[in-house]
Amino acid sequence: MLPGEAVLPVLPPLRELLPAGGLQRGSVVTTGCWSLLCLALVAEASAAGAWCAVAGLPQLGVAAAAEAGLDPQRMLLVADPGPGWPQVVASLLDGCDLVLLRPPDHPPAGMRRRLEAAVRRSGGVLVVAGDWDGAQARLHIAGQEWTGIGAGHGRLRARRVQVVADGRGAAARSQARWLWLPGPDGSVTAADDPAGAPGEWPEARTG
Amino acid sequence: MTQRILVVWCPDWPEPGQDAGPEAARAFEPVVAAVEEFCPRVEVLHPGACAIGARGPARYFGGVRALATKITDAVSRHGFACRAGVADGLFAARLAARAPQPDGGEPDAAVIVPPGETPAFLAPHPVGCLGYPDLADLLPRLGIRTLGEFAALPAAQAANRFGADGALAHRLARGLEPRPLVPRPASADFSASAEFDPPAEQAERVAFAAKSLAERMHADLAARGLACVRVQIQVTCTDGREITRLWRHDGLLSSLAVAERVRWQLAAWQVAQSQERRSVASSDGITALRLVPDQMVRAAGRQLGLWGDSVVDDRVARAALRVQALLGHGAVTRPLLAGGRDPAEQVTLVPFGDAADPRHPAGRPWPGRLPAPSPATVFPVPRPAAVTDEAGAEVTVTGRALMSAPPARLSVGGGPWLAVTSWAGPWPVTERWWRPADSRRRARFQLVAEDGSAWLAAVQDGRWQVEAGYE
Repeated sequence: MLPGEAVLPVLPPLRELLPAGGLQRGSVVTTGCWSLLCLALVAEASAAGAWCAVAGLPQLGVAAAAEAGLDPQRMLLVADPGPGWPQVVASLLDGCDLVLLRPPDHPPAGMRRRLEAAVRRSGGVLVVAGDWDGAQARLHIAGQEWTGIGAGHGRLRARRVQVVADGRGAAARSQARWLWLPGPDGSVTAADDPAGAPGEWPEARTG
Repeated sequence: MTQRILVVWCPDWPEPGQDAGPEAARAFEPVVAAVEEFCPRVEVLHPGACAIGARGPARYFGGVRALATKITDAVSRHGFACRAGVADGLFAARLAARAPQPDGGEPDAAVIVPPGETPAFLAPHPVGCLGYPDLADLLPRLGIRTLGEFAALPAAQAANRFGADGALAHRLARGLEPRPLVPRPASADFSASAEFDPPAEQAERVAFAAKSLAERMHADLAARGLACVRVQIQVTCTDGREITRLWRHDGLLSSLAVAERVRWQLAAWQVAQSQERRSVASSDGITALRLVPDQMVRAAGRQLGLWGDSVVDDRVARAALRVQALLGHGAVTRPLLAGGRDPAEQVTLVPFGDAADPRHPAGRPWPGRLPAPSPATVFPVPRPAAVTDEAGAEVTVTGRALMSAPPARLSVGGGPWLAVTSWAGPWPVTERWWRPADSRRRARFQLVAEDGSAWLAAVQDGRWQVEAGYE
């Protein structure tokens, strides 16, 4: 459990994309489809001691989560929250600072607002892999390219993605950043814009 | 006189000698519950077999054969294969449950040894089934191969020659009972109980009392170096009805968690009662609560070391228990990351509150393990896929890992066809070739499609499937 800071930390390359420079307690953040971006978003807070519950994602790759920086020892998985998932999510929010959710269905507005109230009350952060109308911050992956693999040789080594952020209020301005997601060792770092100078390979940089 | 015993044996569970684990015991609970419908005093012999005294229920259900058929039907309705056996004495009944059907009998019907014929039934069995390894080794060397031959020895001589174990085994071989059937609450000494006067009307009051009872029970057990694996909660109502339920308890459950279970039990009971349309006023009060530790084990300390130093926060534990109350024990899991070749194999999901070892030990070489980065999406069940070459023919891989043609197009789970922009493989994986039952030969590929999605695909027995996605 992290002490009561108002903002949970995120990995450095993601800071500029979020309105408060991190995950504001009591807020909802969406990440578009389920992807490594969800995991990257909660990795730093998990490493710092926050518990992370994951609901509705039986396909979560735990090894990838660990490589992204999450601590698997502080994860709770609820693969199938069932038709009563809002209640499950509300219960998880009471215990965990971070709840990753892929809603099994589109929640009606009333239900959504009740869950948002539960998020605010508990002081946790709800990260939604999908759509959420009242989200304070929205991220999504706009483009991606894999490196290290060719036609019949090499292997997947790293992926450069363009993450676009938009949201409400202070976050209304849309921003985009290029990230290594994942980098060659699974970690998440900032990447060069491929439109500029051709991006160096991260291995070459680290020597 | 020896009691008529009916043993229900489910072959899907491991033999008692093998390590059954808490999962096996819990999974067996529905079987016990189904048998309890017929007779309330069920003794669980080990996860996979339980016994009841057959005489009373047989009279009620119209004969031993009818009772055995009803019980096996009831257990089968829960989806478990099972056999029943009836004989004089527990030992013979256990053998009867496993005995092959006599010629002409239905394969699934119960084996029923008529009263008084138990020694004759036992006679052809080998001495190995007595369960005494020393005797099983010694007796055949003396020319005594079957229980019948062993039983033919004079009892006094058997006791003289083979000691206490021999005397006990000799009694078994003659179809006698070495011990009476012990009903399940065998450990009443450690139980803790409280009475409510006036009767408690509200579940909260009972749950609150349960907390201090659980603390007392834990302290009693700990003082004797014991811990219990299950706890039985008995609630007595003003109308004399008793509601009994067994709850698993793997050491992690605090007294608070026991109180929580009392609350669930009362909630479940109240729901059942409203379904029965009984008048609530007549039986609403609760007069007594009793906690009985069940299935005692030696207290070997908690296995917190398994997860390093991370002790589960109380707040997290409460949230997890609440979700378990909603969805069931297995619905909330903690991942355990260990060895294995597949992304799916590397993770063992342990229900919250249980301690378990990973299926595949870490720290061993796993040749063929995929290097980082690991896929973020690991399908619990691989999704079927189709991969074709430029000409549209399916790409095949020979036993020597030679491809028919480079992959050019990919369709995952019946989705749209996408051009493959880059790929790597085939990486052959041959697993457990020495064990035909679960040996596998696959060739793995990494495929990147035109939309930027990357997949871990494998071809096995000529079929393509996608195991994971690097999204």
